[in-house]
Amino acid sequence: MQDRNNFTDIEDFLSNESFRRWVRFQVDDEKWEDWTLEDPQRAKLVEEARLWILAMNISENSVSKLEIERAIENTWNKINNKASKLAETAEDSSYFWKNNWVRSAAAVIVFGMLGSWFYQQNDFLSNSSPIYNELIAENLEGLVEQTNNSNKPQIINLSDGSSVLLQPNSKLSYPKIFIGKERKVYLSGEGFFEISKNPKKPFFVFANEIVTKVLGTSFRIRAYDNQPNIEIIVRTGKVKIISNNTVAKFNKDEIELLPNEALRFVRKNLEFNKITDITTDTTLSSSNNTIEKLSFNFSDTPVAQILKTIEQAYLVDIDFPIEKLKNCHLTTSLNDQPLPEKLKIICRSLGNNTSYEMNGNQITISSEGCD
Amino acid sequence: MKIKSNINNHDDDLALWQDLRDGNEKSFSIIFEKYYPHLIRYGNSFSPFTEKVQDCVQDVFADLWLYRSSLNETVFVKAYLLSSVRKRMTRLQERDYIFNKSTSLKSIDFLTDFSIEHDLIADETTAYNVANMNNLINSLPARQKEALFLRYHHGLGIDEIADTLQVNYQSANNLLYRAVLNLRKGWKEKLLLILALSTILF
Repeated sequence: MQDRNNFTDIEDFLSNESFRRWVRFQVDDEKWEDWTLEDPQRAKLVEEARLWILAMNISENSVSKLEIERAIENTWNKINNKASKLAETAEDSSYFWKNNWVRSAAAVIVFGMLGSWFYQQNDFLSNSSPIYNELIAENLEGLVEQTNNSNKPQIINLSDGSSVLLQPNSKLSYPKIFIGKERKVYLSGEGFFEISKNPKKPFFVFANEIVTKVLGTSFRIRAYDNQPNIEIIVRTGKVKIISNNTVAKFNKDEIELLPNEALRFVRKNLEFNKITDITTDTTLSSSNNTIEKLSFNFSDTPVAQILKTIEQAYLVDIDFPIEKLKNCHLTTSLNDQPLPEKLKIICRSLGNNTSYEMNGNQITISSEGCD
Repeated sequence: MKIKSNINNHDDDLALWQDLRDGNEKSFSIIFEKYYPHLIRYGNSFSPFTEKVQDCVQDVFADLWLYRSSLNETVFVKAYLLSSVRKRMTRLQERDYIFNKSTSLKSIDFLTDFSIEHDLIADETTAYNVANMNNLINSLPARQKEALFLRYHHGLGIDEIADTLQVNYQSANNLLYRAVLNLRKGWKEKLLLILALSTILF
């Protein structure tokens, strides 16, 4: 490596990794700054080199972890295909199979695979909760974990305006702020999700063996560690479900669900069952929660009543000036909105002097009455 | 020394490479995860068909695994992969040309434009200068641009660039030299112009 005191050309700087890092990421562990200031002639050169680097950026398109995982899977398929083609051409296949030794070896392999498959299945049931922990460990965004140890559902508001109603004995991990091209959260247990629309940033819920992808919609996921099934019930919009790569070997399909459809993943068989009419499924319809049963279509409804419905649905307390709002009526449909969005719409409809504030499950609306 | 981390990175890669040659699937996955995005990025600069690019990059990795026993012991892993992707893209393009006559040229062109690091620019003068420089760089011939990209974005050496572009050492060196020379010239003209303008104005 050339001593930097001998640097005379822009290229000397450009090809120096450490210098590039200093300019682009402000990591100055070789004291470039001090070194530059030592000599005005040098400073001119450094300034020009800096200019070059700033003008030569390459925007790296981020490839998501999910895409990479799929790509690896795809590559293994390619490898297997190519390998079998290579084997075919290399060996005369009839000769190959006539060989007793090869046949018994193949049998051993097949039984071995079956064995390990059964073993894995058992493994699944006995220690299924690590999946959630593993998923969390893989994410490097710096997640916040919220656990609901109380006996009633808890509302969680995410940075993108989405809201999650987390059931008791459930936990959700999510980044404080969503960075990058995707929004990812991790669920263990049950939650009702209302996702703010953003087609450019798909929203992923990783719930143990299942990954749910949406652009903006509402749905419920029930993925408790100690239960035999995982269930996803769609209320509005469209939802795509992909199996996580732990089970991807068994089922690679992507399943699409529409409103009032549901999917049950049977852990024991690693099987997906689509339920096209949730009302006919006794377990699903009986366990359906309050929020899905409530209608958020209001026509000329007193605001007090609308707020009451919201209180029931999200188990929150709403404080509002009863007297001032007693003559206010609204006609609106709030079915498809996360909680913050619902409140925003109501406040906006009431007029400019209305606003809300949210603190945990306590909501305060201040208003001077409707226009 | 700062270059340490780079050397370590290089060593890590080599260790992974050795394991891969010995048939370690985990090492294969680590290399895959590490370089897949870069290779997709590079591939996309030759073709607008993202699916074809993904297919091509995955084929490179598939062959890497299948023919692992014939791989060289020591290699600059990143350079090897970049070069494999480019060669494969070239072959695909040639095949397309022969069978479909869909493309007019048999060589592939580097179509990516360099962008500006806006976040690191605080004042207007710098912004103006960088924008000018960026214009100059992006108006360079495709191959010169590609040589700059491999040299200064990926840190490839001249012989690795030569291998990737499938030219000899001297040509690769010339490409870089001419790129820098062109930029220099263009830059000086711009500076003179600015100087002239400012003297007229004041």
